[in-house]
Amino acid sequence: MSGLLVLLCRVIVGGVFIYASLDKLANPQAFAEVIHHYRIVPMALLHPAALLLPMVEFVVGAALVLGLWRRGSSLILAVLLLAFMVGIGSALMRNLDISCGCFNTDGGHAVGLSLLWRDLGLLLLCLPPLLMRTGGPGLARTPHK
Amino acid sequence: MPSSTSSRFGLQMLWSVSLKEAGLLLLISILATAGWWASNSDRLPLRAEAAVYELELEAPLLTVAEALEFYEEGVHLFVDTRSETGGETIPGALFIREATFDDDLLENFDFMFPEDALILFGGGDLSRTSNIAGRLKARGYENLHILQGGLSGWQHGGGDISPTNNGAES
Repeated sequence: MSGLLVLLCRVIVGGVFIYASLDKLANPQAFAEVIHHYRIVPMALLHPAALLLPMVEFVVGAALVLGLWRRGSSLILAVLLLAFMVGIGSALMRNLDISCGCFNTDGGHAVGLSLLWRDLGLLLLCLPPLLMRTGGPGLARTPHK
Repeated sequence: MPSSTSSRFGLQMLWSVSLKEAGLLLLISILATAGWWASNSDRLPLRAEAAVYELELEAPLLTVAEALEFYEEGVHLFVDTRSETGGETIPGALFIREATFDDDLLENFDFMFPEDALILFGGGDLSRTSNIAGRLKARGYENLHILQGGLSGWQHGGGDISPTNNGAES
């Protein structure tokens, strides 16, 4: 039963991150503009961040769905979600009228409180794969401990 | 006490395993990003050009790959906005420069119409090219794009170059 719960969490969180990475990977310039709108990342790190972040989302999301290194992948995605929440929270506090750029780089969902709740929900879904002994079915060769 | 020691040990193990796995995944991601970036001809430069983000450009930016497609289609007109050409430009490009804007527009009166799709390019100075785009918009030209990276980006992306032939040399 717990294995099924972990599998469900892995597929949901990993699937969301894989989906979120696709448009960003295809349009790095547009994603760099989205990041720039948050006014958090310094100019020197803007393009490296726009290139690396979608790849991390894709690779780590895929690893989580496949059950490879599930603890490490859920830890990274949890940290990413926390970082996104800080970014969204800071944009809200500064009354920035920007799109979140979560799933697509062309407009998309405006930054708002609902995004914080959504990210919090995803963050909670990261906990079972990170903390539970069983990992559910996957490609990992070691026992699901 | 033994159970608390064992749970602390379990927590330490969990963190240790998680951090090792996370490090490995980040390394794979960095390598994948580097490989993808190196193999992509229309890649994003590692160094962000502040002007791209800080300027309110008068026309949308076009990547070199998109411009090359339009060039192959032959529908768009290329407009060179550089004040000094160095004797070469994109084949067929018309010249509209800041200092001689009105004269250049008059000279190209028979070749460049407000309904034409124009791709403006400079020597990498976006603010100048954007200014010219704004002035063209004021004259009724609506279908404007700015080539990102200018002529050097075009050359780097494999675009054709020809000698200037209308006396616009520096």
